[in-house]
Amino acid sequence: MTPAGGGNGKMSHQISNVRNIGISAHIDSGKTTLTERILYYTNRIHDIHDVNGKDGVGAKMDSMELERERGITIQSASTYCEWKGHHVNIIDTPGHVDFTIEVERALRVLDGAVLVLCSVAGVQSQSITVDRQMKRYNVPRIAFVNKCDRSGANPIRVCRQLREKLGHNAVMLQLPIGLESDHAGVIDLVTMKAYYFEGEKGEVIREDAIPPSMAAEAEEARETMLDAVSLFSEELTEAILEGSITEELIHDAIRAGTINLDLTPVLCGSAYKNKGVQKLLDAVVRYLPSPTEIRNEAISLDLPEEIHVVTNQPDDPVLALAFKLEDGPYGQLTYIRIYQGTIRKSDTLINSRTRKKTRIGRLVRMHADEMEEIETAAGGDIVALFGVDCASGDTFFSPGFEFSMTSMHVPDPVISLSVKPKDRKAQDNLSKALARFVREDPTFIAETDPESGETIISGMGELHLDVYIERMRREYNAEVVTGQPQVAYRETITVQAPFNYTHKKQTGGSGQFGRVEGYLHPVPDEEFTFKSEVKGGNIPTEYIGACEKGFRSMIDEGLLVGFPVVGLGVVLNDGASHSVDSSDAAFQAACRGAFRETYSKAKPILLEPVMNVSLEGPSEFQGEMLRTVMQRRGIVIGTTDERDFVRVDSEVPLSEMFGYATTLRSATQGKAEFTMEFSRYAPVPKEIAAERIEEIRKARNEKEGRNVS
Amino acid sequence: MYRKEVNERSPLRVFERSIHGGLGRGNLGVIISRAGIGKTAFLVDIALDDLMRDRKVLHVAINDSVEQVRRFYDEVFVELAKITGLEEVDEVRLSVERNRHIHSYKDVSFSVDRLVAVARFLKEHAEFAIDALMIDNFPFASATEKEIASIKELAGELDCEVWLTALSRRDMEKGAGGYPDPVAPFDALLSVKIYLESRTGAIRLRLLKDHENENLADLMLDLDPTTLLVKDRQEAS
Repeated sequence: MTPAGGGNGKMSHQISNVRNIGISAHIDSGKTTLTERILYYTNRIHDIHDVNGKDGVGAKMDSMELERERGITIQSASTYCEWKGHHVNIIDTPGHVDFTIEVERALRVLDGAVLVLCSVAGVQSQSITVDRQMKRYNVPRIAFVNKCDRSGANPIRVCRQLREKLGHNAVMLQLPIGLESDHAGVIDLVTMKAYYFEGEKGEVIREDAIPPSMAAEAEEARETMLDAVSLFSEELTEAILEGSITEELIHDAIRAGTINLDLTPVLCGSAYKNKGVQKLLDAVVRYLPSPTEIRNEAISLDLPEEIHVVTNQPDDPVLALAFKLEDGPYGQLTYIRIYQGTIRKSDTLINSRTRKKTRIGRLVRMHADEMEEIETAAGGDIVALFGVDCASGDTFFSPGFEFSMTSMHVPDPVISLSVKPKDRKAQDNLSKALARFVREDPTFIAETDPESGETIISGMGELHLDVYIERMRREYNAEVVTGQPQVAYRETITVQAPFNYTHKKQTGGSGQFGRVEGYLHPVPDEEFTFKSEVKGGNIPTEYIGACEKGFRSMIDEGLLVGFPVVGLGVVLNDGASHSVDSSDAAFQAACRGAFRETYSKAKPILLEPVMNVSLEGPSEFQGEMLRTVMQRRGIVIGTTDERDFVRVDSEVPLSEMFGYATTLRSATQGKAEFTMEFSRYAPVPKEIAAERIEEIRKARNEKEGRNVS
Repeated sequence: MYRKEVNERSPLRVFERSIHGGLGRGNLGVIISRAGIGKTAFLVDIALDDLMRDRKVLHVAINDSVEQVRRFYDEVFVELAKITGLEEVDEVRLSVERNRHIHSYKDVSFSVDRLVAVARFLKEHAEFAIDALMIDNFPFASATEKEIASIKELAGELDCEVWLTALSRRDMEKGAGGYPDPVAPFDALLSVKIYLESRTGAIRLRLLKDHENENLADLMLDLDPTTLLVKDRQEAS
């Protein structure tokens, strides 16, 4: 098999035969094993290893050592394969919520996805989070119910959960032949044939008649399927009435429904036991869209309201998005999705963020940590660039064609901690590591605390930061000492408070004069608002801007404990000026003075990030699950009965969530799991706030004391 | 207005006076109406009135998810806070959420036995002693007398009030006062029965049963059709 676009540098594939897909799933659904099997059946690899492999080789997609050790996928490595004349780029997406930016970035460049579900555990809380993200990016999905060989497997129940829990119009396209240890193959409800996967590694597919014991069940399931998919094709509806159904008509209807996100075809099998994977590949190329069937938009750099719908045409100017950076053994590797045009080696493109010219040195097609050099790549494809200086999320365009792909949703970090290198050598390595991580991951922030000189890293959760600290050690040989995790608090005011402040200074030369009058008031849901109601020119119009600036300069550090102030409204309604002594500087100073004098009267309070925490576990652990939440100042919003499982929805302050994974694991014998997402900022309860403010002040004083000594 | 005043001035006090001081602990009350009139909203009003008095409420949702019920409460709460000019909204909301527990049976069939287990569990293991139990969309059509008796028993055991909602249909048999009555077979176990019906510009609340009170003729109130809050008598007249 000749990989398309590889080796000879010619694009041997038609864009309509390209599929850019993600494989997205809950952490234990067997996603990596499934990817491994796909690569095996498409001749991309020549042997099969397990994720938690005993042979020490590990599955192909988990290229980072850390992932290999933990048996999870953290970075979304990209690979590709060929199946029945189609070129399939596969972005492996991580399965942990703390890494959602990785998932979101991958979703941005995908045209379709395979949602892998475990046939025993079904739709779990993690699947719900991932599914919500896919909905946000309008990614068409097909579902693969994996692990049909496991005890307790029930793909039909999982299909029902897809409908009930995720609201999908999920329809079984297959029925499993035997479950648990009897799982032998699948019945295809389109062809109405049985398929068995034989040979040492399931590579021999045997087509046979449906076993008589399942004939009635299969007929019924086919009727249900036809009912559902005929909604998307009038031709199929007519054919059903006339009794002239063809396989092609059914495929077309399924494809139409899937691409419009109105239908989720459900397939089943067991990747580990080599059952059903080839049929899944058939479904990927049959039902998921090619790049030309998905609408992607770019925004003009000069006129933000001007939208350009990408063309995918190889002859148009280039538009490409860098969606992932990787620091490999040979330097920086930048994964890009090309939306239109053709990129050739030694082309010059412009980076939309820096507006700098970038010369394309080497162009490669990636296969986990191996690569193939190629000469050109065109619209619709996913490839990688070598030695290009850019950050994740940057757009590249042809000179003169100034558009940027829509920016990605980047949430603010909610947790931070200090890192200190253990020795001199670690110091240099740490700097290198941080520079790299910041480019790779927009939700990871590294800065120096101006007061203490410490390096502070911030991110989306405890595990998120843990992974980077591990990577510092392993990949960059930077041993660090970490401080206590700190939560990103905010301050806000709770009542309206008037101000009337005069700034006056006469120390020879020109004086300074400005008087401002008005009030501060709480504006929930806003960061800062400023309104001038000054009449009769008591403050000349030219100084109003300076007034706003004066107040705004105070919100970065509130006077309660020094956290950023949110929800602050300022109304200016009177004041006075002096024809000689008033100036921008004088009014800015007056406003700063007014803020200092009034802030405490507006009863400031401390706000803390609160997380939505969803737990899921066997009913017998309901008590333990509730207790772990309540012990952490959590509010239990509710519980949901789900047969033998119970789901607990709660809100817990982030500051109480440190080490939660361990607590939950030991409280429930590892049988419950949780997901966590930022919900909102909420007031710290009074009794705790006083204590917390005291702690923060004390820590700060100690730090300052240390710096002075 | 502070929370206490909101409670004192709550139109629900009028409603309580109408039913002789309220439903009373250990008793079952039913809210009946046709689909879409506002049974759930009225149930949430009663629950919020309890919650704002620091009483603990278990809300059992039979067809809705926890998230849906929570949104319902949020909407009514925001509306209530706006109309009454409630102060310290965030703090009140926090205490409302702490005192409320929503239990959903969205994906599984409801069973009274399971409900009894959940309520007992909350009391014993989660320090959640229920003052009021709200059961929305109770499947009266398929319910047995034994099940209703178990709920009544639970109300006594937990020493709480229990409000249930029941759906009525036009073709149902008419009960007291000529209103369709889906709960007639269980009358002996129910202390209060309320019927909600749509009137121009208002939702009218009629008492079909009020403990042992025989004279029900005058007992009706009008509710605001958007908030389902009871309108004051003067305002209504």
